Amino acid sequence: MAEKITINPVTRISGFMEIEADIENNIVVDAKTKGLMFRGFEKMLIGRAPFDAIYFTQRICGICSSAHSIASALALESAMDFAPSEQGRYLRDIVHGCEFLQNHLRHFYQYTLPDFIKLPENYPLFKTDHNDYRLPKNLNDKMVEDYFASLALSRSAHQMLAILGGKAPHNHGVFIGGITASATIDKIIALKSILDQIEQFINDKMIPDVFKIGEYYSEYYHIGRGYGNLLSYGCFNNYKDLGTLYVDPLVYSNNTITPFHEDEISQGNENAWYDDNDEADIQKPQAYSWIKAPRYNNLPFEVGPLARQWLCGDYRNGISTMDRTIARVLEARKIAKIMKELIAHLIPDVSVQEEYTVPEKSMGSGLTDTTRGALGHWLSIENQKIAFYQIISPSAWNLSTQTANIKGTGEQALIGAPVNSVDTPVEIGRIIRSFDPCVSCATHVFCNGQHRNIIQVV
Amino acid sequence: MSAESFQCPYQESKLKSTANLVARAQSEIMSEKLEKVNLVWLELNGCAGNIISLLNGLNPDFQYLMTQMSNFLYSNSLLAAEGSEAMDELFNVIGSTFILAVEGAVSLKDNGVYNIIGRQKEHAVTGLEAVQKLGENAAYVIAVGACAAHGGISAARPNPTECVGVHEVLQRKVIQLPGCPCHPDWFMGTLAYIMLYGEPPLDSRNRPLMFYSTTIHDRCPRRSYFDQGIFASKLGEKTCMFKMGCRGPVTRIDCPIRQWNGHVNWPVEDDSPCIGCAQFGFPDAMEPFITFNTTRGEQGWQKK
Repeated sequence: MAEKITINPVTRISGFMEIEADIENNIVVDAKTKGLMFRGFEKMLIGRAPFDAIYFTQRICGICSSAHSIASALALESAMDFAPSEQGRYLRDIVHGCEFLQNHLRHFYQYTLPDFIKLPENYPLFKTDHNDYRLPKNLNDKMVEDYFASLALSRSAHQMLAILGGKAPHNHGVFIGGITASATIDKIIALKSILDQIEQFINDKMIPDVFKIGEYYSEYYHIGRGYGNLLSYGCFNNYKDLGTLYVDPLVYSNNTITPFHEDEISQGNENAWYDDNDEADIQKPQAYSWIKAPRYNNLPFEVGPLARQWLCGDYRNGISTMDRTIARVLEARKIAKIMKELIAHLIPDVSVQEEYTVPEKSMGSGLTDTTRGALGHWLSIENQKIAFYQIISPSAWNLSTQTANIKGTGEQALIGAPVNSVDTPVEIGRIIRSFDPCVSCATHVFCNGQHRNIIQVV
Repeated sequence: MSAESFQCPYQESKLKSTANLVARAQSEIMSEKLEKVNLVWLELNGCAGNIISLLNGLNPDFQYLMTQMSNFLYSNSLLAAEGSEAMDELFNVIGSTFILAVEGAVSLKDNGVYNIIGRQKEHAVTGLEAVQKLGENAAYVIAVGACAAHGGISAARPNPTECVGVHEVLQRKVIQLPGCPCHPDWFMGTLAYIMLYGEPPLDSRNRPLMFYSTTIHDRCPRRSYFDQGIFASKLGEKTCMFKMGCRGPVTRIDCPIRQWNGHVNWPVEDDSPCIGCAQFGFPDAMEPFITFNTTRGEQGWQKK
């Protein structure tokens, strides 16, 4: 007989999530991942001034706000048929890199590590009810130290972001053309200096820490695989002079890597709380989440650091909970290296800004990979106002709901996993956190009858 | 007169207000005059960006807050525990003396089901229910960020989930720290003030005067350009951005002197207009955020 367990809240993620799992003989036989918050950004955006979307959409997410500003700026540039200068792209991508570093440091130390190390219990924030902590005391103590030491580095990553972007979270710098301000030499040297400290921490602490975790929790190399379908829209790529520094738009499925095609994306909602017109419908009987079901070629895909590391060829050890966690840490090192290269190619004091005009009528799309994976913004403009806006976020891919008999990626990763104690099912949180869930980003609605097929003709 | 005598003492003391209050609170804790406070950080319908901003705090930093100033009891983003154990920790605080910090708006539609923050056995706990239970029992309630203070972006038109600020669902005073996000100093300074002296002096809308007394425009380093009528026509220029939509003239907050992220920059210094994120009415009343070739009023989004 299957026993049903529910975890709510799944803490140490952004936003609110519940996991329901059926356990039989200590194995997960069925699972549902549920996004339990909804605000309706796509509806709010209709009628607003198009340029405002860059600042407005950042408020979707507090930990990856820059990602939305970048996807939104790309979508507007595409609607305006405007190509930013290479200097503009470098500056904007450096801002994006700061967000990666901030996110990966916080996700590894503040969100992931408490699943594997015992934090000092005299602080109420750190109390837990399970005992599966395996590190010897000296190693555990060292990682507690790194948990706290990391706070200064993730803060510095946001400080770098503010040097170019005004403030963080919710930056002011990212805009059409690149960023608002120019990079003066004092800013450039400040970026280099801070980046150097972060890179040292990644090499000296973060990478050894994650491999130690892998050593003591080695079964997680075989748990939480999911479908093994990987997808990226590409990022830090296709520069005129520098080529691709990270990853191009690619897809991995059935042991084959193929180029990504935007028109293969579709999105279902049969088990999400939306009616046939995509209006929010909390009464819908079979629905269990606010997260829809993006599919590529009708299949669910995993997006994020492991997908990128795999597709670019940097890391192909395997697809699992531990590989996902390791890939995120290795990606932090990669991003620091890319940022150094971009900073080295900055020309000081170049303003990339112009006077822009909102098109009367147009459509655009902005697709980029970001911290958690593939992020897309689609918009249309009518009478110089936003007439339609759609966002498909990385966590919508990773935490998608079931369509027909196809489970979402995260659900599939849970199925088959062992659970030693149904009272303290620590394994489930470990698996799902390896995807770095962001429910704030994943739950959306778009309006009346219009949907992304309209956008596909762009 | 020496050059130093021209420095404004007011600006200097404002900048140090948070650090001074925190240092004083710490010395009183050490001399056992003051107890660490119980602090609950409740996330509701929002982006969870205020806890991220709090993690960006510097002097005091987050480690100092959680180890020296407070018993930090709950945060959905940081709590090691999960599931029903986490919910128990949250609601067990009732009965003790605690300060409730809330970020995110309260969703009212359909009794709050658009924002489920946890589950107690079969019962799904809404943000509305949690903030009412905890809010009525807290010693102080602090609304951290725009959404908690007045609905913010979560309540942007057409406000699909009927979001409101925390004070709308509580029969008590709520200290308001609007801003998107809230600057870590605004929160840390308010908390330290409460620990040392009780409720800080507030304006008529319950914002602490020590942070919200003066508009951005009054202390803007580009004010002389405004006074002389020299206006920027695109971003990236170093003159006044009033005609591009800067909301500094109506936004009461100390960004020009406090600045952000370790005091390295702020929106106007970054050659972009203030969008009024710390003012009531954000975002709808502050739009459009950025306009070219126009003066404000011709393109308001409400105007069809």
